[in-house]
Amino acid sequence: MALARGRRAESESESEDTMSKLGQVVEAVEKHGRFVVDQVKRARSDEKFGRELAERWNKIKAETPITRAPTGLPLPRLALPEIDEPGEIARYLFGDGLPGEFPFLNGAYREMYLEPLQNIDQGSHGNKRSTSTNGAKLQKNGARPQEEPTRLFSGLMLAEDTNRRFHFLSAHQRSKRLSTAFDGLTLYGIDSDAEGVFGKIGEGGVAVDTVEDMVRLYDGFDLGSPEFSASMTISGPAPIIMAMYIAAAKRRFGSGIVPKLRGTIQSDIFKEVQAQNETIFPIEASLRFLCDMIEWTAANMPRWYPVSISGYHIGEAGSTPVQQAAYTLSNGFAYVELLAARDIPVDQFGPRLSFFLDCGLDVEYIALARVSRKIWAIGMRDVFSAGPRAQMFKLHTQTSGRSLIAAEFKNNLTRTAAELMLAYMNGTNSCHSNSADEPFTTPSEEWIRLAAHGQAILLEESGIFKHTMNMLSGSPGMKAVERAVEKAILDEFREIESLGGVLAAVENRYQRSQIQSAAHRYEEQIYDGTRPIVGLTRYRNGSDEMPEIELARTPRSKQRLQIERLTKFKKKNADKANRALDNLAQVVDRGENSFPALLEAVEVCSLGQITGRLQEVVGRFRPMV
Amino acid sequence: MASPIRILTAVPICDGHDSAINTINLEFIRHGIEVVYLGFHRYAGDIVRAAIQEDVVAIGISSYNGGHVEFFAEVIRQLKRRGASDIAVFGGGGGTITHDDASLMKGKGVDEIFFAGTSLADMVDYVKKHYGKRRKSRAKLKPDLLLARKLTQLEDAAGKRSPRAKHQTSSIKHRTSKVIGITGPGGAGKTTLIDELVLRFLTQDRHSRIAILSHDPSVIGEGALLGDRATMINSQDDRVFMRSMATRGQAGGLSPATESCLNLLAHSGFDYVIIETVGTGQEALPFRRQLVDQTILVMNPDYGARLQLQKIVMLDVADIVVVNKTDLERAKAALLEIEQRLTQNKRKQQIVATVAKRHRDAGVDELYDLITQDGAGARPPRRE
Repeated sequence: MALARGRRAESESESEDTMSKLGQVVEAVEKHGRFVVDQVKRARSDEKFGRELAERWNKIKAETPITRAPTGLPLPRLALPEIDEPGEIARYLFGDGLPGEFPFLNGAYREMYLEPLQNIDQGSHGNKRSTSTNGAKLQKNGARPQEEPTRLFSGLMLAEDTNRRFHFLSAHQRSKRLSTAFDGLTLYGIDSDAEGVFGKIGEGGVAVDTVEDMVRLYDGFDLGSPEFSASMTISGPAPIIMAMYIAAAKRRFGSGIVPKLRGTIQSDIFKEVQAQNETIFPIEASLRFLCDMIEWTAANMPRWYPVSISGYHIGEAGSTPVQQAAYTLSNGFAYVELLAARDIPVDQFGPRLSFFLDCGLDVEYIALARVSRKIWAIGMRDVFSAGPRAQMFKLHTQTSGRSLIAAEFKNNLTRTAAELMLAYMNGTNSCHSNSADEPFTTPSEEWIRLAAHGQAILLEESGIFKHTMNMLSGSPGMKAVERAVEKAILDEFREIESLGGVLAAVENRYQRSQIQSAAHRYEEQIYDGTRPIVGLTRYRNGSDEMPEIELARTPRSKQRLQIERLTKFKKKNADKANRALDNLAQVVDRGENSFPALLEAVEVCSLGQITGRLQEVVGRFRPMV
Repeated sequence: MASPIRILTAVPICDGHDSAINTINLEFIRHGIEVVYLGFHRYAGDIVRAAIQEDVVAIGISSYNGGHVEFFAEVIRQLKRRGASDIAVFGGGGGTITHDDASLMKGKGVDEIFFAGTSLADMVDYVKKHYGKRRKSRAKLKPDLLLARKLTQLEDAAGKRSPRAKHQTSSIKHRTSKVIGITGPGGAGKTTLIDELVLRFLTQDRHSRIAILSHDPSVIGEGALLGDRATMINSQDDRVFMRSMATRGQAGGLSPATESCLNLLAHSGFDYVIIETVGTGQEALPFRRQLVDQTILVMNPDYGARLQLQKIVMLDVADIVVVNKTDLERAKAALLEIEQRLTQNKRKQQIVATVAKRHRDAGVDELYDLITQDGAGARPPRRE
């Protein structure tokens, strides 16, 4: 099966160079490092250049608005290092970049979590009062739209139950940013009425079998509103679920809604094969369906993120932070290569790629996302000729689930708080904070509320992130971690390159075995004392009782209801379903873009019916161990 | 030397959380336990079938995605139904299984649930203490279980004999199945190829039954990870009887008990018996004369320089040479070189190019035809 259906000039792939794109990224990052060093030297030797840099530096400082803390303390809205020597200025501007500027080390956007500009002094020399509270105005010059970065993952029982949880969670938010967890059956593309799966319905996430479930799931939310966005954490059957979401939106709002839809669907096949194991078709077929979907959404849904390139599950499966970043970035570059091979312009799909990283307590997390942002920007600009919007590494972070411990579980609040701090120091664009009860169950309302409030306390109550950009950026320790992490990531790239690139390394289970060894080492370190765990291996109070926690379990009556609904749907659509499935199978066999046929199929077919038919055509995923 | 404890581990259906079980498997095998690993996202029926065929003493289930009370109960129910309730069940799921759940599960027949914070050493100790001896079974053994138990007896007996005596039991004549031997270096894709052949056996002949005897390396007195089942998708079927064997110290790609086990399988009404060796080296000749009816060598196009081909002795004796992974760049050159190497032998050897990982691969179809249309070996009379 051809992955790249587009016409790719023979000469381009053959003659240009024999090095894969990942190898070129390594070269580009190293070249950028040399470029920075050259600029530093030039700033010191070329007087005119040095003077221009110093002037630019002073201008940036002069134009930085002054803000006031509630105590009255004046502070600049952007903090910069105290340097006036042209070489050091060059190192900062070219090597790190201002927030919102290449290579985006300090942030994808200029203002990130700052409070809206209001009642603050304009400029350090003037006294003009600004009263602008209009978020839209801030969007120019790289400022971020005013949305809370809080996005909490949620999904339980049936669609209406999750819908109720969504309304509860977003009741007090300006923007409605929903994040959907699906049950295991949905993640594996299996219907709720399949044999031997009854107990799994609605466990660990919401059960979705049909477009009708999708309508119920987001009921009461204005899907086309600029304040609304939906995130769906699903990869194996992602194109089918995406089609269901679009179909559900059309049923509620008409077909004009499609270009307005905002949100993210995870769809990350590489990390599934490397770590999370929720793949349902063979790798090549999965990648083809994914690229079909991205090709369609990039053209028709300009505000949708059709893939969230995820390191989270790689980290949770036990990788080191460096492995997590290296595999995530290299997977990202591999997707770009696949899409570019279809002749889709990089500036069309590039800005629609988003990222998802884990944030734990290891020291690498002080700068892991910062370095990732830089490597992505350089690779996209210098290897794939992407414009500024496609250079931005837009990041969702989740605090580490693996770091949470069942023993003396209330300590998990502190662990998550520390991780949140690291995530925001890294300028994440959105964030999920785990609930302290996560080692036991789908989070209960009490603990999920505390998790959400943890973010609000950091961003809104505390002054750490709301007054001044770069508040905690660029300490000597952070720079040391940045250098070490960057080098280690490039070393990993070289290793993958030497194995023939990402796809070949995946098929030879390189990443899997690396992650498994790291996981094993981590466990050993817990028990040999190298990794102290408070309440488990240190300062244990001796009580091994499990705390009383309100469990979110799906009652049997609800599980039966889900099956009844599905049975009715299948009966109602029996004739049409067969025709739609036949059509889909033919489209896939002919090698055409499968997404339009999926959009038709989800109107009358269940998830399991579609998965089943596709597996007849392309086969099933063969698990790797 | 006493035979190692054999257990089966798996992760339930719709659950891909294999990080914990991978670590635990490693710890088990380090401590002398043979672990048949069935992998993640497995139905209760697949787990029970595998446990019976592999004749393990216990099943360990690692569940993180909920629904564990029902799932464990289903495994126990099916064990009972298939007359194998002497196979024990234990498991864990970090903090997702509460103490209340665990009591409920124990009430339904689960031996033990390990909670979050249990050390790896405690789990190993538990398994060694409780599963060193099989429980007594009162049930009359059903056919697959009976066959599985006989295989275990042969394996145990082979371990007790002196290594020199190992060829004594062979009586390979008069068998009722066609026996296919599949060998080749590690990473050539033998297991995938077998699983794809099985798919064709199952769909093209609606009555055939297949047995697979697969091998993984192990050292005497140590454990082994028997993981071939985990990557198989088509062979999880009641018409396929698969047995995973550790080599238990024997060099050459097979186990001391292979011949006697093969002999039993070849007289047990299967249409085909497939033996898969461990990944072999250049000098290996794993199948003794007449042990198998047809020999297949599976190769990867990346064998190195052409000179290396001269050293692969299996190329002289294989009936069919399969060059798998022919989607790799080097495939064309490899096929040519191997073809030239085979002409030196002046024998009727076949060469087949496959991409076994690909669904409906034409090369695998061709191989299937070569196997099924070849007259060698016995086939049992059709059962209708």
